[in-house]
Amino acid sequence: MVISASLVTWFSGPTLQTAPPIGDWVALTPVLLLGLTALILFVIDSIDPDDASNTPALAGTAAVGTVLALGAAVVLLAAGIGQGQGGALRLYGGQLIVDGMALFFTVIFTSVATLVIVASYDYLADRVYQAEYYMLILLAATGMTLMAAAGSLATVFISLELASLPSYALVAFLKDNRGSVEAGLKYFLIGALSSAIFAYGISLVYGATGRLGLDAIAQQLSGGTQLVGILGVGVLMVAGGFAFKTASVPFHFWAPAAYEGAPAPVSAFLSSASKAAGFVVAFRVFAVAFSPDAVAASVDWTLAFWLLAAVTMTIGNFAAATQDKVKRMLAYSSVGHAGYVLIGLAALNAGQNGLVLGASMIHLLVYGFMNTGAFLFVALAEHWEIGRTFEDYNGLGTQAPIACVAMSVFMFSLAGLPVGGGFMSKYFILVGAVGTGHFVLAALLLINSALSLYYYSRVVRSLWFEDPADSLSIDGYPVGLYAAVIGAAVITFLLLPGIFLASDVATSAASALFA
Amino acid sequence: MASPWIAIGALALVAIAIPLGMMVVSSLLRPTVEEQGKSATYESGEIPTGSTRIRFNIQYYMVALLFVIFDIETVLIFPWTVIYRSAVGSAGLVAALVPMLVFIGVLVIGLAWAWRNGAVRWVKSPRAEQRRQERQRQ
Repeated sequence: MVISASLVTWFSGPTLQTAPPIGDWVALTPVLLLGLTALILFVIDSIDPDDASNTPALAGTAAVGTVLALGAAVVLLAAGIGQGQGGALRLYGGQLIVDGMALFFTVIFTSVATLVIVASYDYLADRVYQAEYYMLILLAATGMTLMAAAGSLATVFISLELASLPSYALVAFLKDNRGSVEAGLKYFLIGALSSAIFAYGISLVYGATGRLGLDAIAQQLSGGTQLVGILGVGVLMVAGGFAFKTASVPFHFWAPAAYEGAPAPVSAFLSSASKAAGFVVAFRVFAVAFSPDAVAASVDWTLAFWLLAAVTMTIGNFAAATQDKVKRMLAYSSVGHAGYVLIGLAALNAGQNGLVLGASMIHLLVYGFMNTGAFLFVALAEHWEIGRTFEDYNGLGTQAPIACVAMSVFMFSLAGLPVGGGFMSKYFILVGAVGTGHFVLAALLLINSALSLYYYSRVVRSLWFEDPADSLSIDGYPVGLYAAVIGAAVITFLLLPGIFLASDVATSAASALFA
Repeated sequence: MASPWIAIGALALVAIAIPLGMMVVSSLLRPTVEEQGKSATYESGEIPTGSTRIRFNIQYYMVALLFVIFDIETVLIFPWTVIYRSAVGSAGLVAALVPMLVFIGVLVIGLAWAWRNGAVRWVKSPRAEQRRQERQRQ
């Protein structure tokens, strides 16, 4: 198998180049570029805040910033920075860690941010506060890239807040729209609650170990601990904080409201990038700090994730199947996909850690494109103002065939049919679950995927096989939105044959956590 | 036999008995006079006007937010100034000075942006303005 082959080359030491010694700021280029772009946007908007004619400059700067950050992340990843023999780069006393996983997820965040910004140019046309919108997107993206590199619970918490606070404002961006404001408030209140729980969990873990650095916690715990009760409650609370960020049960109920009420590009950003950010932090904290070998004997958190994965994917998919509105269906399907990814955490400590965690990472990469694309198609429909339900999409294929082909690719790929990378990534997760003996999770994954095919294909049926309503008319083909939707579709499709490029990187990055 | 809890229990009994006793005794001794003024919110003779739900100008909130930014800035700058000399000696001028300049620079950009967007411009309340003009006309 290709994955095991990549593992062999990864372990065969001498043939690999060691990363050259580089300055701290070079390894952090993607983060710095995103932050710097946000500051440049502040300056541009300060020149003449009331002038609406600088919108192209704002959108252009934001897009260039994210593309540069994406390029930097890809170059660093390809150059083997923080990977291979040299091991992860520990910056600022281990507060930040740049390794394969951090860079891999940075690629996801910056790709999604680029698609969302390109699409937003048309979506936001004639709206006020555009500068603030792009600033908040970039600041949230900065927070997410920092989350991917966070090396201690303190930086985890701060970067999580840096990603969350702009998100609350973004959800409530349409401030004259009741649904948007309500969604923003709901998201904020549940976010504040889960942040409090998360911070309390950190304090309990600190109480049990006396350390905040992830490596230091692992070292402390490897000798066993007297305070199993405190540690256990702390671990559970930390897991709760991640469940909020990833929209998993039991903190998932904000997701349908927030994704439905928010402007569709923001829903795309939150359901793809923000979810991936929650997962990368969860992977790092649970794989490194509460590493399964050391902690699972006293606090068996893989069991907790086993339950969360099973419940999350079932609830998400069953709720999605009963929806009338496309955006709400996508929101629940996003909860379901969080359940699939959680299998990666549930199946740890069974001897194939790199493989199962790598499978989850690949699924998040593919999901970043196909889910963003699907939400951006909804943004396109909102731009045309054709309505929100499945019936409103009837016969759209006759009017906008290209976008509808793209949407069909997203839907089938999300369902796990072999028209996009979603098939391969789900297959990897399935292989991981079966390979580690989690047959119940594997069965649930198959059942839920079959169920999801039902509601995803409802969209496709509406687009192509239903007769259009007489009133259906669309005005214009917005270039930015079209470019983003088609770009996402092309990459989703290319990830079907090209998945092995990503899977090698993901598996070796995941294995490096356990080395 | 002499458990310290006996003393604590006795103290608790006395602590409850004294205020209860005072209330009972005073209710036996005092005359009762029915009067409406006793049920007023403030017995000072001041008559309450309006409800407690007054709307504050949102700008107090903006000023408070800006204040918090400078507050936190000060919290970081103070310890930095204390160790600045020895930090320059051990780590060099650039390593000691540049990070703080970057930090302040970020805040300055944010402040300039807020200023340009009118966060510190004191907006006049149109209703208060209208009332003032009405008073002048009378």
